[in-house]
Amino acid sequence: MFERLLRNRVLSLLLVAGGALAVLGLLAPGFLTAATLGSVWSSALVLLLLSLGLLPVLLTRNIDVSGGSMLGLSAAVLGLSLNAGLGLAPSIALGLLTGLGCGLLNGLLVVGLGVPSIVATLGTLGLYRGLMLIATGGRWIENLPQDLKALAARGALGISPLGLATIALAAGLALALATRRGQWVAAVGDNREAARHLGLPVRRIEALAFGWSGLCAAAAGLVYAAQIGFIPNQAGTGTELRAIAALVLGGVSLLGGSGTVAGAVVGVVFLTAVDTALVFLRVPAYWNDLIAGAVLLGVLLLDGRVRLALAARDRAARLRHGHAGRDGAR
Amino acid sequence: MILRLARRWEVALLLLLVAEILIFGLINPRFLRPASLLFGTSDFVHIGMVAVPLTLVIIAGGIDVSFASTIGLCAICFGLAHHAGAPVPLAALAALAAGAAAGLFNAAMIRATRLQPLVITLGTLYLFSGAATVLSGLIGAQGYEGIGGFPPGFTALGYATLLGLPLPLLTFLVLSALLAILLHASRLGRLMVLVGQNEDAARHAGLPVDRVQALTYVLTGLAAAVTGLMLTAYFGAARVDLGSATLLPAVTAAVLGGASIYGGSGSVVGTVLGVFLIGYLQQGLQMSGVPTQVSAALAGALLVAVVAARQVGALLRDRLPPRRLLAAGRQFGGPPAVQTESLGGGEER
Amino acid sequence: MILAELQGITKSYAGVPVLRGVDFAVRTGEIHALLGGNGAGKSTLMKILSGLVAPTAGQVLIGGRRLLSSQPQAAHASGLYLVPQETHLFAHRTVLENVAMGMPLPPRAYAARVAELARGLGVDLPLGARGATLEVADRQIVEILRGLLREARVLVFDEPTSALTPHEAGALFDRMRALREAGVGQVFISHKLHELRAVSDRITVLRDGMVVLSGPMARFSDESILAAMSPGLAAGAATRSVPPGGTGEALRLDGVSGEGFSDVSLALAPGEVLGLAGVVGAGRTELAETLVGLRPLAAGTVRLAGAPRPAAWSPRRAAEAGLVLLAEDRQRHGLFLEAANAVNLSSLMVHRLPLLLRPRREASRFEEYRRSLGIRCTGPWQAVGRLSGGNQQKVLLAKCLAVGPRVLILDEPTRGVDAAARQDIYGLIERLAASGTAVLLISSDFDEIVRLSHRIAVMAGGRLAGELPAGASPESIAALAFGAATAGRGVAAHV
Repeated sequence: MFERLLRNRVLSLLLVAGGALAVLGLLAPGFLTAATLGSVWSSALVLLLLSLGLLPVLLTRNIDVSGGSMLGLSAAVLGLSLNAGLGLAPSIALGLLTGLGCGLLNGLLVVGLGVPSIVATLGTLGLYRGLMLIATGGRWIENLPQDLKALAARGALGISPLGLATIALAAGLALALATRRGQWVAAVGDNREAARHLGLPVRRIEALAFGWSGLCAAAAGLVYAAQIGFIPNQAGTGTELRAIAALVLGGVSLLGGSGTVAGAVVGVVFLTAVDTALVFLRVPAYWNDLIAGAVLLGVLLLDGRVRLALAARDRAARLRHGHAGRDGAR
Repeated sequence: MILRLARRWEVALLLLLVAEILIFGLINPRFLRPASLLFGTSDFVHIGMVAVPLTLVIIAGGIDVSFASTIGLCAICFGLAHHAGAPVPLAALAALAAGAAAGLFNAAMIRATRLQPLVITLGTLYLFSGAATVLSGLIGAQGYEGIGGFPPGFTALGYATLLGLPLPLLTFLVLSALLAILLHASRLGRLMVLVGQNEDAARHAGLPVDRVQALTYVLTGLAAAVTGLMLTAYFGAARVDLGSATLLPAVTAAVLGGASIYGGSGSVVGTVLGVFLIGYLQQGLQMSGVPTQVSAALAGALLVAVVAARQVGALLRDRLPPRRLLAAGRQFGGPPAVQTESLGGGEER
Repeated sequence: MILAELQGITKSYAGVPVLRGVDFAVRTGEIHALLGGNGAGKSTLMKILSGLVAPTAGQVLIGGRRLLSSQPQAAHASGLYLVPQETHLFAHRTVLENVAMGMPLPPRAYAARVAELARGLGVDLPLGARGATLEVADRQIVEILRGLLREARVLVFDEPTSALTPHEAGALFDRMRALREAGVGQVFISHKLHELRAVSDRITVLRDGMVVLSGPMARFSDESILAAMSPGLAAGAATRSVPPGGTGEALRLDGVSGEGFSDVSLALAPGEVLGLAGVVGAGRTELAETLVGLRPLAAGTVRLAGAPRPAAWSPRRAAEAGLVLLAEDRQRHGLFLEAANAVNLSSLMVHRLPLLLRPRREASRFEEYRRSLGIRCTGPWQAVGRLSGGNQQKVLLAKCLAVGPRVLILDEPTRGVDAAARQDIYGLIERLAASGTAVLLISSDFDEIVRLSHRIAVMAGGRLAGELPAGASPESIAALAFGAATAGRGVAAHV
């Protein structure tokens, strides 16, 4: 039972998070209210979208560090189209298309040209940010129309339309990854050679994962713009690293093949809740990074040790298993 | 063979650098003035100061992104020590100790968790910058202004010249020369390359894999400390965010310089050339009146284009399978150079 | 009717041909045996047939249509499936998902069918177990199940029995015969001649990338097939008669246990070649890795030239004490493929190199070994990954010899090596023994064991199954190697 808990990262992280939140609730009365949870959720949205986009890329054993720049560029395209008088829907479509295009370009570099994904997306990280700055002329995009901001306003059940859309997206991704074809994504990262041998369209899957990452980054850009009502030059900078951290926290392996949407959600919410809790505890803001880093490393250390122990158990089981199985005459 | 290829790549980089300088010279003759070429380097050699030891980390099979925070952390340690009344040399020693400790911490965490170095150093990137922020917050320094009040003798170092060269550039060149000898001509460098090429084989051969990798992280931490001191002198204040802008350019310079992200190959000279290529690109664009933001885009595009071209070139040249397919693709132990298998032996007896 | 055909297939890696103009065909309801020594080109030929590798010249016809794409999907679509030699499992997926991945329906739709196929092979495989927890034989079963589930019209088995018990192999052969009745064309690759003879209708023998014999199985005697496969071997197949030269004990194990083996006791004299035979997964590699300190020693004592092994042990200390292991997996554990020959040569003794390297001295040391072992290369600074398999293996041997071992453990020293280099390596092992080096020879090639050993120990299921004198027949070794397991794994189902 305990072992099953240890093996299930989502569950164990939920327990840790639940415990931590309960302690916080005792320490800072008023923390555990619907209002706080709502604010955690809405400040988690951007990170969540980026992480959902990154998840399939990590599952295929690639990485995409250009998310923050894709967010910025597609938000800029969205803002510029809006301010140029284009309607809300076409502008959003343009923004999303921009993200999709950026992601597919990443995919082309990695799949088509064989550039290692960390190198390719590091390059496009600079490229897309630069393109954004060229597009905006280095100025912030302000005076975004009210109907865009309305998308981030609390609606039914206290959740904004964009929040609802994100929930739908997460659920959709979870369902898609569970389908027959969806399982191919993790299979590619689990054992590329096996996937190729069994006839899975490995390259197409990898390229699509990058495209999806771009699309989600664009969606994150939309949320970002709607939430704060303007688009600064550095929109999204550094969020790609936070997204990777959140996914790793949620048990997604950077070695591919293993990770779930639930893990991504829990990781993101946990990371955001820590930030919010610090505010509540009146910890001076300058402690934020230290604590976030310490929490991340603490979880990694614990998790790493647990994984090593479990792997040793697997290996021992395999050897015992083998001998018991082969020693037929006993 | 590998050596020969690497040399070819460095020659290509050198030609690219010369072409770049000439083009900017054509656009803006001021760019070509020796003083401008020489003293302009002070704006970017700090990238190289971390990019070169980072090259060693990458060659030994790791990656480190935390140096960007280590720079600020060491600078703050220096400022704090000085604030507490320590003389400059002692305070500098404290900064170096902090740098080495940061590197050691990275190595120890990677060893203890057996997780990918990217994840661990991503965590320490937050941790170190957080620690620096807290340390500077403790004495009430404002993040933006940082800790100042250093003796003029120290801050002058940022602009000093020696042998006609700006001191930061000289420091960079000396460090690079030392690390080049370490990597390419010493036993330790041999160990780094072997460990990075094939960790399994290195363990089978009894090579001290963990210690070699730890050393590369410590070297990076130390170099980050020196960089922190250098930037503190240059800007006259120790700030948390001194190094935050070095992260991407430094990694870019190392990769541009030919370091394989899979480990096992790369060169110090290549990285040094990569640093100048990126540094002069930014500078030349600025002097030609191109906005800073465009130069960032071009630097990213340069990285992508150069690496892609190199990849395609390598594929065309010898049809080597990509590294991750090696195990499966090389059933016959890789493409032999000239002889056939059947001619492979038999004659000697 | 011809189901699949290869015409004039040539394949070169960097200009070096591994296949030269090979013709090959599989017909309806036929089991076609493909035989050849290591490095003869069998696996490459089948990878070309299944679309995993593109040929340099020649064409692949499946069902009369030319296979243009070098993508496995194209081969699958035309009804061909290859059960590969190396197992490729999804570590995070269950057995069922591993088998059914890529099929037109979700995995659970195949649960009953997969369970039935597994039972048909006499195996009780837990379908919910994760890939990472499977041992070698079960991995091989998963690969076979993948092939059987796909109901291909042409099915290729590349050494499917290397880790199986004779009982399991027998069940597989029954299955293959049933498929033959159903009209499936099958290719069966093995280097166990008796297995091929048991099921095959037709045989093709490859040597050095060319077809040297082809026709109905019944037309050829075992001798003629062996002679076609390796003409040198038939002549040189004489067993050892020279007794070991040295006296005393170079290596002694008493009741040694570790990961994957237990209670192994052995003794090895200087100048003696002790063959350690067994099947894949018998625990021999684990034993060898434990001896040099790569794995922990759980129990027992190890003595080197009479002195007990110290508690602190590592490959480096072992090498300094004169005990060296030539790793089984050359590319993963043995060589640094992108490093130069000379660098690989000194990779076991890096700590003995001067602080500042002396490349010229390393180069001249390599030149000595290049001459004495007959290593074909362009020079000391050529990357070892660019050499042929046989020459790579010689560099690996040179690396082991460079530290002056008194006890040399050779784990599958001729795997992936062409026939000529294999003869060279045999000669070298004999010379080493003659000069007083004790050799522990681990091999799954029982002919090789017989050819070289003064004494033969056999391991099965992690234990020592018995010892045989020089000149024992390969059959008697096989009896011990499969030993107790002949009753079948299905009986001792995984509890």
